Amino acid sequence: MKTYKTTRRELLGSVSLSLAACHLRNPREDAIVSVVKAPAYSGALYDTVHRLFVQHRVPIKGKRVILKPNLVEFDAGSAINTHPMLVHAALESVRSLGASDVRIAEGPGHRRLTLDLADEAGYFATIPKFEELFTDLNLDDVARCTVKRPASKLTEVYLPRTVLGCDLLVSMPKMKTHHWAGATLSMKNLFGTVPGGVYGWPKNILHWAGIHECIADLQQFVPNSFALVDAIDAMEGNGPIQGKTKHVGLLIAGRNMVAVDATCCTIMAIDPQKIDYLRLAGLDNCRISQIGEDLKNLRTPFELLPSLSSLRLA
Amino acid sequence: MSDISSLLSRQNADGGWGYNSGGSCTEPTTFALLALSVSGCGQTVGAKMAIQWLAASQRSDGGWPPRRDVDQSTWVTALPMILPQAMRAKLRADRAKEWVLSQKGRESAWGPRLQAYLAGSQNPLDTSQEGWPFYPNTAAWVAPTAFTILGLERFPTDRRARSRCHMGRAFLLSRICSDGGWNHGSFRALEYDLESYPETTGLALLALHAETDSRLRQSLAQAEQRVSRLKSREARSWLQLGLFAHSRPVLSKLEDCNPSRSVLEIALTALVGAAANGNNAFIHSDENL
Repeated sequence: MKTYKTTRRELLGSVSLSLAACHLRNPREDAIVSVVKAPAYSGALYDTVHRLFVQHRVPIKGKRVILKPNLVEFDAGSAINTHPMLVHAALESVRSLGASDVRIAEGPGHRRLTLDLADEAGYFATIPKFEELFTDLNLDDVARCTVKRPASKLTEVYLPRTVLGCDLLVSMPKMKTHHWAGATLSMKNLFGTVPGGVYGWPKNILHWAGIHECIADLQQFVPNSFALVDAIDAMEGNGPIQGKTKHVGLLIAGRNMVAVDATCCTIMAIDPQKIDYLRLAGLDNCRISQIGEDLKNLRTPFELLPSLSSLRLA
Repeated sequence: MSDISSLLSRQNADGGWGYNSGGSCTEPTTFALLALSVSGCGQTVGAKMAIQWLAASQRSDGGWPPRRDVDQSTWVTALPMILPQAMRAKLRADRAKEWVLSQKGRESAWGPRLQAYLAGSQNPLDTSQEGWPFYPNTAAWVAPTAFTILGLERFPTDRRARSRCHMGRAFLLSRICSDGGWNHGSFRALEYDLESYPETTGLALLALHAETDSRLRQSLAQAEQRVSRLKSREARSWLQLGLFAHSRPVLSKLEDCNPSRSVLEIALTALVGAAANGNNAFIHSDENL
């Protein structure tokens, strides 16, 4: 396991984060989002990721933590899955920050061959003892949960006990366009917590109940979360499966998934106000304070399907 | 350790099997039973305990839940229906049959069809062919439709079962992708062609074992080309079972795949081995339509 020392940059980052938080009039609406450069999947990623956890003061010590990547398809050459090195970096960091237990967990919505998919995506090769650390959320033991004040047609949903029993879920999506939802980011990534072993592959019940509405509803089951978006190599066009790789070279992180996803949309030149699930989840009540790189210089329009062209940020 | 010893070592104390180390579930328990059956272990204590677990798990509506902590019958109801007659006799198989006959893909119901018609939506799929969903009141997909056909084939004298099997096969044939195989359920999403998956292709071929439709020539040729390249044991197993169901020789071995990591994969390995020797557990010639 790696050991980390607080560097001058980390210290400065923490100070700027504190100042940003103090600047906000209502602490309940704090939504600090980091946008940091990460040009490649390289060794430097480990320090960058650790710094993000430290800067955001993510409560980790003594906690049961789930790292939830986005595993979708057998296509190692494309930007379809969260890169394993990012997950490994998060694993090392969370361990060094004193988590009592760390699991990597995912329940793919398309393919049920989860371990084979993870193998193809490089997880076995990158993360030592990956299989021991991994929980297939599609096949985990489940509990029935009531959806409070549902936006969707779901009044109850079965969810994996691994998710319900964790203290912190780190949502680690790949930044991608989505042919129905507009963009798939840290919130949509929670579809992977809905068990295919109960609902099937794909998890079609979420489509009938309303995709945007279900994305918003699922947030209530992960009250403590941290979003860490893999936007080093992202996907544009006909995402989330058949799109093209787009190099963005960024990591976006924060403790408020709505704020993180809205920031990602802005980078993708998608209007967050036009993404229904963000509005349903309280985008209008969310004051985003962005730190790190200057967002103005980072906007890089993602190619959108013609049917989604109205989402383009003016 | 043999596949059967490995399976038995993973059996839960309640008689069922989990997918890996978790609580017992209908799907791995049924596949383990099928594997025990084709290996001549259908009368062992382990098999009897598993049948008891299945019998106790069957719900009052005749269906099975995916696991006991789920209060809903689902697609897995079709799986115990596939078991050999000696095992099925210990279950309320007729009730299960009635439950699956009451289910169909939501898109085939008149309400959604009328809604789609009025909205002028351009659905490339023929929604008049009724398949089966994974979960009630959702759309039909290839995998649950294939399993349900195989389950209903155990009731060859039931006219409704025959009729739904016929329609289910038409559903599968109408969902072939341009590459000859099957995706989850559709061949197009928006304006884009979808690629097929080996596991669903194998399942569809299995369920279409008695079909001679000319479209299957491309499906079988594609499956034959693809099977030896697959690293996934589960995917390769299904594709092999599908090819065996059409009497196609399969030269590739499972040894060069990823190792068996789950109860399903251990069971499938045994089932492929038996099918290679002419004993395909999913197709019992004396019980077929």
